[in-house]
Amino acid sequence: MRLLSGQRKKNSSPSDKNISSSLSSNIQEMKQLFSYKLNKDFSMRTLNLKFNHKEACLFYYSSIVDGARINLNIIKPLLENDGDSVSNVVSIENIEEVSDFETANENINSGKVILFIEGDKMAYAMDVADFQHRAVSKSENETTIKGPLDAFTESMNTNISLIRKQLHNSQLINEGIQIGERSKNEVNLIYLKDLVNDDILENLRSRLKDIKTDSVRNVEMLEQYLEERPYSLLPTILYTEKPDKATSYIEEGFIVLLMDSSSACLIVPVTFWSFFHYPEDRYLRFFYGNFTRAIRLLSFYLTLMISATFVAIANFHSEMIPPDLLLAITASRERIPFPLIFEVLIMEIAFELIREAGLRIPNPLGPTIGIVGALILGQAAVEANIISPIIVIVVALSGLSSFALADLNINFTIRIMRFLFILAAGTFGMLALTGASLLFFMYTASIKSFGIPFFSPMSPHFISSEDTVFRKALKKELFRPEYLRPKDIRKKAKS
Amino acid sequence: MNRKLLMFLFIMLLLAGCYDRIELEQQSYVVAMGIDKTDRKGVYAFTYQIANPEVGSAAGQGGADEAPAEIVTVDGADILSATHTANSFVTKKITLDHTKVIVVSEELARDEDFIRVIQSASRSPQIRRGVQLVVSREDASDFINNNKPLMEQRPHKYYQFMLDRATQTGIIPEATLHRFFQITEGDADLFLAIYATTEQSDQTENKKTEDQYIAGEIPQIGGSPTQFMGSAVFKEGQMIDTFTGEETRFAQILDNTLEMETLFATIPDPLMPEYQIAYNYSQKEDPSINIQYHKEKPTTIDVQIPYQAEILAVPSLIKYSQNKEYQKVLRETLTKRLNEKTAELVRKSQEEYRSDPFYWSLYVRKYFKDVKDYEEADWHKKIYPNAKITVNYKMEKLEFGKMINDSNLDEVRD
Repeated sequence: MRLLSGQRKKNSSPSDKNISSSLSSNIQEMKQLFSYKLNKDFSMRTLNLKFNHKEACLFYYSSIVDGARINLNIIKPLLENDGDSVSNVVSIENIEEVSDFETANENINSGKVILFIEGDKMAYAMDVADFQHRAVSKSENETTIKGPLDAFTESMNTNISLIRKQLHNSQLINEGIQIGERSKNEVNLIYLKDLVNDDILENLRSRLKDIKTDSVRNVEMLEQYLEERPYSLLPTILYTEKPDKATSYIEEGFIVLLMDSSSACLIVPVTFWSFFHYPEDRYLRFFYGNFTRAIRLLSFYLTLMISATFVAIANFHSEMIPPDLLLAITASRERIPFPLIFEVLIMEIAFELIREAGLRIPNPLGPTIGIVGALILGQAAVEANIISPIIVIVVALSGLSSFALADLNINFTIRIMRFLFILAAGTFGMLALTGASLLFFMYTASIKSFGIPFFSPMSPHFISSEDTVFRKALKKELFRPEYLRPKDIRKKAKS
Repeated sequence: MNRKLLMFLFIMLLLAGCYDRIELEQQSYVVAMGIDKTDRKGVYAFTYQIANPEVGSAAGQGGADEAPAEIVTVDGADILSATHTANSFVTKKITLDHTKVIVVSEELARDEDFIRVIQSASRSPQIRRGVQLVVSREDASDFINNNKPLMEQRPHKYYQFMLDRATQTGIIPEATLHRFFQITEGDADLFLAIYATTEQSDQTENKKTEDQYIAGEIPQIGGSPTQFMGSAVFKEGQMIDTFTGEETRFAQILDNTLEMETLFATIPDPLMPEYQIAYNYSQKEDPSINIQYHKEKPTTIDVQIPYQAEILAVPSLIKYSQNKEYQKVLRETLTKRLNEKTAELVRKSQEEYRSDPFYWSLYVRKYFKDVKDYEEADWHKKIYPNAKITVNYKMEKLEFGKMINDSNLDEVRD
């Protein structure tokens, strides 16, 4: 333990120093700090300033800055122009004074140029960052038919621009918090200052600052550092790659977290409905949107329950099956060597296999999944008397409806719970199934995300736009969710 | 420690569970069950008609030449214990969950011990309360064995369709086991069971019209030999008589607890009695049954039945639809005939049975403070046989179908 902390101290000690007025010692310090020469893309450029005729030196990572801009807006003016101070000479939009090596280090890592001048106890950090990233592209995992198609990309500035494009409001704050010990990564909190509840915001800030780890590379990992119950089956943070979804949450008083290296954002706090809803529900007209919601609710139920219900009824309550169906199932099962529950499990696992394999398979091989999955597992298994045809229907139905729940987190929850329900149904029939689903429901109701009960505003009841299972007409949505305790609860739709 | 406890609980759950789990293919599903008398007292012959799942199912590959059902008969003391005896030659567990009908031979139904053997059906959760009670003129085992439907070979389908349709037309009553126990234990009213047979009776007289038969009497060419027609009348859990289809229909008209959809019937043409007029009798409202209970003098029962009639066929080609006078005659004849037929049935029930097959005791119960009071008043012995009963039909609407005029015979044959 002591060894570990000792090492860390030694490693970070040079950067605690303040910048001295001697250029040569500063250069020496920087070279040592960034392992100059060993570190190929760490660049240094010395020059003579024209405006005060002093020696100066520029440091930057050539891989993450825009070389042309340095040349045109920094080096050229410094060599040629007259002026009374650095900020009046260089033509760069963002210039900052730095007094210690710690900050200088952070600045260089985030793509800035540091300028040291002989006899000056300040260094100047100028933003010329040019991190490479993908262009804004179509949302791949959360597809929509009606609604904006753009998705977040792996660049903070682009992402914020995507949000600001939709929300023209001076109260929209983009607050940065540094996390990580070795690699300082910035998490940006985006919220509306005149809406967001300060307690929730403060809670989030302190949780972010409490993260003690070397580095948090992206929001996907941040999600796991932030959540309260890492072993719970239920997610308590919403993850989305759609800027329009994020913006709609910001407008209600939620907080969005962005990081430079993720093409998605996190939204806190959440309720069950955040996972159940989908932006398209609101873009579609009232009836169409609610129709989709009804379908989604049905698929939610089918995914969780249909296999388990089938097992329970067939194994314990055969009197519930209509005689025609009963005889048909019996006839097809007479040649099957396995118990019914085993049959269901085989097929469910097979389906999960197809799903996982389909996800990982390289694109050119994609069609094989269809052939193997549909033919081998569907038809051949039935013809070989391993599976009875009704099981294929039941499992296909449960698998198909699981895709209607688009959110990845809730999708996993449901898919895992399904297996527990099948096992419960296989031991005590409907009794155990009812018990298990009741316990699951009770557990879900007990979950809180950043202090917000999971089923609010339905239970416990809060004033809200009443957008739960079904939504109201847009014009009738008058309130922001009260459970967030926003500073302004009324939407200004009606004065 | 915790982990061990969890492990223990989980294993205990698995071990304790599954104890009544049974796979579908390990069971045999009885569709119809028959009960007959044997020579020995307290021992009955039970017949089980077991559906063959492989017949009529696309998934059954080898069952094409198998029979649609297996019929077995064993002796036993009650319905359930006989199933285990039957397992000496039936391969799977015999399950009564899906039984549609219980067939009882008329001989057993008329026996005073019938209530003893049928009692066990209400005890077991296996037999549904909705099972229909059928009384067959021959032995129940003969009935089940002779019943060879030509189209619906799978027995559950046959019974489902046959009973549903026959009940809709009113020629047989809805006779669930639940209703049997309800009426029998209520110690008032008469229970009507379905009457059926597979044997043609000798008395196939042709002078009767469409619904004045009981099963076995209907002249029939082709089709399945099984006839469902009329009902068996049960008083206090014992069969006492049979009703024809017509009487069964009237009993259902007067009974608010039974649903009858529609009724096609004929009456002699009032103007040309050698022809019959066919009409569709329907009721849009339940009849109103008004009982005035008097402790000392006879109770009065007043029944008003609003009905509608649609004329289906006028073979005499008389223009009833065009002539107000004729219509009036037709209306009066129809109502009069209904009134007469019903009055006859009511008289028969009062004098012969001394109880009613209409479940009217429901409407007198409100006059009593408690069950004891009601039992003392005695529906069977005192109230019903002495009651003054008036039944009035009231025609609300007379329709003539979509064609108003019939062919003009003079013009056709000129």
